[in-house]
Amino acid sequence: MSYFSLKYLIIFLLTIVVVYIFTPKKLRNLLLLLASYALFIKVSKKLVVFLLLSTLSIYFSALLMNKLDLKRNKEIEKVSKEEKKIIKEKYKSKKRIILILTILFNVAFLFYFKYLNFFKEIINIIFSSDLKILKIIAPMGISFYTLRALSYVIDVYNEKEEAERNIIKIMLYLSFFPIILEGPIASYADVKNEFDKKSSVTYHNFCFGCQRILYGLFKKLVIADRLNQFVKIIFKSYMNYSGSTIFLGAIFYTILLYMEFSGTMDVVNGSAEIFGIKLPENFRQPFFSKNISEFWSRWHITLGLWFKNYIFYPVSLSKPVKKLSTFLRNKVSVRFSSLTMGAIALFAVWTLNGLWHGAGFTYMLFGYYHFILILLGNIFEPLIIKTCDKLKISRNTKIYKFLQIIKTSILVFIGELIFRAKNLTVAFGMLKRIFLNFNITNTNFSIGLDIKDYIVLVFALIIVLVISILKEKNMNVREELSKKHIVIRWIIYYALIIGIIIFGAYGPGYAPVEPIYADF
Amino acid sequence: MEKLIEILEGLNPEVDYKTCEDLVDGRHLDSLTILALISEIEENFDVMIPTVEIIPDNFNSAKKIWKLIERLEDDN
Repeated sequence: MSYFSLKYLIIFLLTIVVVYIFTPKKLRNLLLLLASYALFIKVSKKLVVFLLLSTLSIYFSALLMNKLDLKRNKEIEKVSKEEKKIIKEKYKSKKRIILILTILFNVAFLFYFKYLNFFKEIINIIFSSDLKILKIIAPMGISFYTLRALSYVIDVYNEKEEAERNIIKIMLYLSFFPIILEGPIASYADVKNEFDKKSSVTYHNFCFGCQRILYGLFKKLVIADRLNQFVKIIFKSYMNYSGSTIFLGAIFYTILLYMEFSGTMDVVNGSAEIFGIKLPENFRQPFFSKNISEFWSRWHITLGLWFKNYIFYPVSLSKPVKKLSTFLRNKVSVRFSSLTMGAIALFAVWTLNGLWHGAGFTYMLFGYYHFILILLGNIFEPLIIKTCDKLKISRNTKIYKFLQIIKTSILVFIGELIFRAKNLTVAFGMLKRIFLNFNITNTNFSIGLDIKDYIVLVFALIIVLVISILKEKNMNVREELSKKHIVIRWIIYYALIIGIIIFGAYGPGYAPVEPIYADF
Repeated sequence: MEKLIEILEGLNPEVDYKTCEDLVDGRHLDSLTILALISEIEENFDVMIPTVEIIPDNFNSAKKIWKLIERLEDDN
């Protein structure tokens, strides 16, 4: 299912909105839950059992851990400091068992549905065995809802979050229809108050939600689907094209991916906004990043935060890594020690990040490519600063920042090429041609696109760029728009709707981009 | 507090820690600097900073970091 389909937007979403308007406030969350499960069952049928099992596992383990916290607090009320420590430790280990079992339970499903075949493939390669590769269909959004489930249960374990007693809210947290398929990977803290509001569908919410959905449709139908014409040919038969054309394909694919995924997030956030539910943002103008680290704090933000909170810090501050860091701090330097701690944690983050995107070697390479870039960035940062100071190059000038943005973008294009390539042979083949056969005068622009397509693309990209620049300057574009006269507002809405209808790349001759992140 | 400012200046001297209120949100302290800062704090103040405390709100200013250290000292 795609959030861009008429089935979702016109039939599903609109029906829910109408029913929601006439539903009493106290039943609104229940309605959203029923709608979410209806959609899930429509797509994944009996696999809904796995969503239910995940939900029940985190609901009950959180309650159990909460119960242990209360019991512990009672016990430590009237004891000495030493006894307090012992009691705390006793309860912590009990809670740890519950946490580990819950994590294993949920990760086991994810492993079975997403990684079992890949694991068998690796075993077959190493041991020349013949383990049967099964045809497994995963429950819709399992990669996304599992991460949300884990974040909730870990937060309750850490007492960062209280266990939720209302099971409807936990069920909704995992299954809420706008976020089930492609995120954002919101934490429970991000959404619990939003669910509590049970807001009405106001004129403001409806208009803002629809605006956001329209903008997402524009990015997807006018830009992403049009670029797909070029991209699919290049990645299928790259050997017929020059290095510069392949590089253009990598640029186009990166733009396509951004427009498709951020466009989906516009539809997702817009859908939720209609019901007065504000979801966390997943993008913050990523192509204005000055280094790869910054890029990943602006691209798929909620996934990056998840890895930072639940992998990066726990790994870098784990006992063995801390021991090593103390040793290095005393023997070498503070910087070397923190670099090593960071490198170990980054390695874990990017191994898992690559694998999360998909069970395949190209995804692993995609992860390690970013690991190496970020690590090199961390290592050479002081050297670059020193060199700039020596050469009296100011790092605050616009031209320096612009060059940093260009450098980062080129590195991102290469990363996304690896990401999109069918397998490692294709990825390396394409990279080889880019580096050995790069001839800018031999660039073929006319693969699947004609001059009219390019004119539409340039205008559409300028619109997105201007909106991005305004957002980067902290302007709330939609709020500003809402202050304009009603005639101007409606001219803009109509221009957007007519623009999508006329210039959308759909119909005969076009192949729409499949929901890319929904497969992860 | 002075010791803390000294540590922070050692990690990134380009910030005025007495006034800066967005050390994390303004990207003055990145993840790696936070790791180095945690090591230094744990070494110098004899506290242990659990991962659950590593949130922007605890690290956005020198005052907030100092409050965190005091709270962890009390817990100990």
